[in-house]
Amino acid sequence: MRLSDLLNFAWQVVRGSPGRTFLILLAMGIGVAAVVAVTSLGEGARLYVVNQFGSLGTNLIIVLPGRSETAGAMPGVLVGKTPRDLVLEDALALKRSHAVRRIAPLIVGAGDVRVGARRRETPVLGSTADFIEIRRMELAQGRFLPEGDPRQSLPVCVIGTRVAAELFGTRQVLGEWLRIGDRRFRIIGVLAKQGESLGFNTDEIVIVPLAAAQALFNTESLFRVLVEAKSREQIRYAKEDVEEIIRLRHEGERDVTVITQDAVLATFDRILRALTLAVGGIAAISLAVAGILIMNVMLIAVTQRRREIGLLKALGATSRQIRLAFLTEAVLLAMGGAGVGLVVGQLARNVALQLYPAIPFQAPWWALLAAPATAVITAALFTVVPARRAARLDPVQALSRR
Amino acid sequence: MLLADFLRFTYGSLKAHRLRTVLTALGIAVGIAAVILLTSIGEGLHRFVVAEFTQFGTNLISVTPGRIQTHGASLGAVNTVRPLSVEDALALKRAPYVQVSDPVVQGNADVKYFGRSRRVTLYGVGPDFSEALKMRVASGEFLPQEDPRSARAFAVLGSKVAREFFGGENPLGSRIRVGGERYRVIGVMQSKGQVLGFDLDDTVFIPVVRALEMFNRESLMEIHVTYEPTAPLAEVEQGIKRILIARHGAEDFTVTPQQKMLEVFGTVLDAITFAVAAIGGISLVVGGVGILTILTIAVAERTSEIGLLRAVGATQRRILLLFLGEAALLAAIGGTAGLLLGWAVALALELALPALPVHTPWSYALLAELVAVAVGLAAGVLPARRAAHLDPLEALRSE
Repeated sequence: MRLSDLLNFAWQVVRGSPGRTFLILLAMGIGVAAVVAVTSLGEGARLYVVNQFGSLGTNLIIVLPGRSETAGAMPGVLVGKTPRDLVLEDALALKRSHAVRRIAPLIVGAGDVRVGARRRETPVLGSTADFIEIRRMELAQGRFLPEGDPRQSLPVCVIGTRVAAELFGTRQVLGEWLRIGDRRFRIIGVLAKQGESLGFNTDEIVIVPLAAAQALFNTESLFRVLVEAKSREQIRYAKEDVEEIIRLRHEGERDVTVITQDAVLATFDRILRALTLAVGGIAAISLAVAGILIMNVMLIAVTQRRREIGLLKALGATSRQIRLAFLTEAVLLAMGGAGVGLVVGQLARNVALQLYPAIPFQAPWWALLAAPATAVITAALFTVVPARRAARLDPVQALSRR
Repeated sequence: MLLADFLRFTYGSLKAHRLRTVLTALGIAVGIAAVILLTSIGEGLHRFVVAEFTQFGTNLISVTPGRIQTHGASLGAVNTVRPLSVEDALALKRAPYVQVSDPVVQGNADVKYFGRSRRVTLYGVGPDFSEALKMRVASGEFLPQEDPRSARAFAVLGSKVAREFFGGENPLGSRIRVGGERYRVIGVMQSKGQVLGFDLDDTVFIPVVRALEMFNRESLMEIHVTYEPTAPLAEVEQGIKRILIARHGAEDFTVTPQQKMLEVFGTVLDAITFAVAAIGGISLVVGGVGILTILTIAVAERTSEIGLLRAVGATQRRILLLFLGEAALLAAIGGTAGLLLGWAVALALELALPALPVHTPWSYALLAELVAVAVGLAAGVLPARRAAHLDPLEALRSE
């Protein structure tokens, strides 16, 4: 039996009962499409988070006050205070490290911002001129906080687009004054629209000079220090330097936590990858169910085609060839189903992309390979029993019995 | 046709092709088992989170400064121009239905005892903290009832801190240094373990004004308020807001009842459970396609039988019901098997990984069985209709 004969044999069967074939294709297709679509969602979410983190800045190191003996709580959860503050001088001292390109100390807090009779509560950030470079933010109008001595408090501020729209409507905002708490600030810049990023909306913030924020919140202590390393390779050295410099300044005590952007990113990446794999696996259960269906239909086919098989054997076909014929049929069906499933899965991905253009949905390459491969392998595995049953048929009996 | 005949007929046709029946039911069983298992894990997780929260009591309200929430935490707790003061906390005791009101400030500090030092989570709290959060003292007593504005330098240790510093000794009466100041230990808390990734035993509790001084800040991070459990929540919230607005002149704080937080968590977890169960449910759909395929084949095989039935007077409706019944029965068998399978795997998981919370509510089992039967019926409609619409003459001739 040549390959073309095998294919022809299988094709006859497939065409002979189009309804049955269609249903098997449907079952396999649903399974493959589910795996592709679900992993696309997972991978999309992963890429989204990775991109968001990347847009926070590059080669970033974050210094936060306080350290916990027991690991477990995410450092970001620590909003608590410490007896020895992380202060501006600590941040400025970090510039001594050769691996550090620039730093931005940061104070955050809630402030109520007023213009005339209008008021709204917004997050207020106190920082320095380098902040915009480190965080990779852009300005729509005006300019950012001026360079100069960060200990000096200038009454200027930069606001987000949403704040500008809500407090001033369509009026020109540059040069206007606004009040935060009991202080007045002149608006010198408006941030470009950026939208929500990791739960923090930069359109709704007001940025003031660090010294002004210190006075506003009556605190010396910094919330974070953002440090940008000179290059990716320098991150490790920068981290060591930061720890050492602060330890020396804090009388030999290690009372700050230093985290690198890469480490946080890697953690998220790992978690989301595992999640994608898990949901993909759950969706793949349906492929096993489709395999059971193929086995069932093949068993029926063996019974229905006794005479045909008997004739083939009588003409000299070996058991091996019979087995091969059934396996070919199953694999062809699975491949057809997988093809349909891939197309449908990609369509679903395109629909999702249309609905949520911000998230880069994309099936990961391993899912695109694994889904059809799993389909074909399950189909082949589940056909082993029916194929053996067919191969074992006794030609005389098969032909004689009606 | 009597009901008994109906059942016998269906049973007979299922039994005639035993392997086929088993395989078709297996398809449904795998789907149901997947759904049951996944929802069990989801429900277990839900209960776990609820239990984590309600161990602090359910009649708890948290008041935080500022009105902006980021990452689920209040930004005002970090820094704010509109502080919440200890006086605010005292004033809230006068709100209707309120039982206790306790100021909280939290931070990170170094604790020293005889040359040993350890970084712990430091809580500056009032004397009612342990009552508000339903935390018990293992030995000694909690901070004494005195004016929180001029509290003495007493400290209460979390169980882990006590163990690390004192080992088997009795820590009561010893003097420790917290952030450079001297405190007398007057109590040790019972172990509370990790709560949502936060170790509550690695803590030290000191009076709130002293903590505010130590951290050099004026605003509290939070005020815990508990109310009489039978009181109407809306009125309690109203009362709190009225008092604070009168003191501050504007609503510059956030009132979050524990129950609202539980609801939010519940909705999120339910949504996740539903999504995962739906992904598992895809296998159920594939199982349904399996029933559809097998019944289509069965109708083709049994054409002459159907013709005979019609010839001896069975109505179209009867034939339709026969095949639908067969589909439903197949699915029901598969559903039951899947239920047992899913339940067994859930139990095995519970035994193998005690940390993973698994819980299968009975309502889910019932629901899964109903879904299985519904899938079977839906899959049976097309083949059953085809069987019912067969022309009896043609059908008989096909033999």
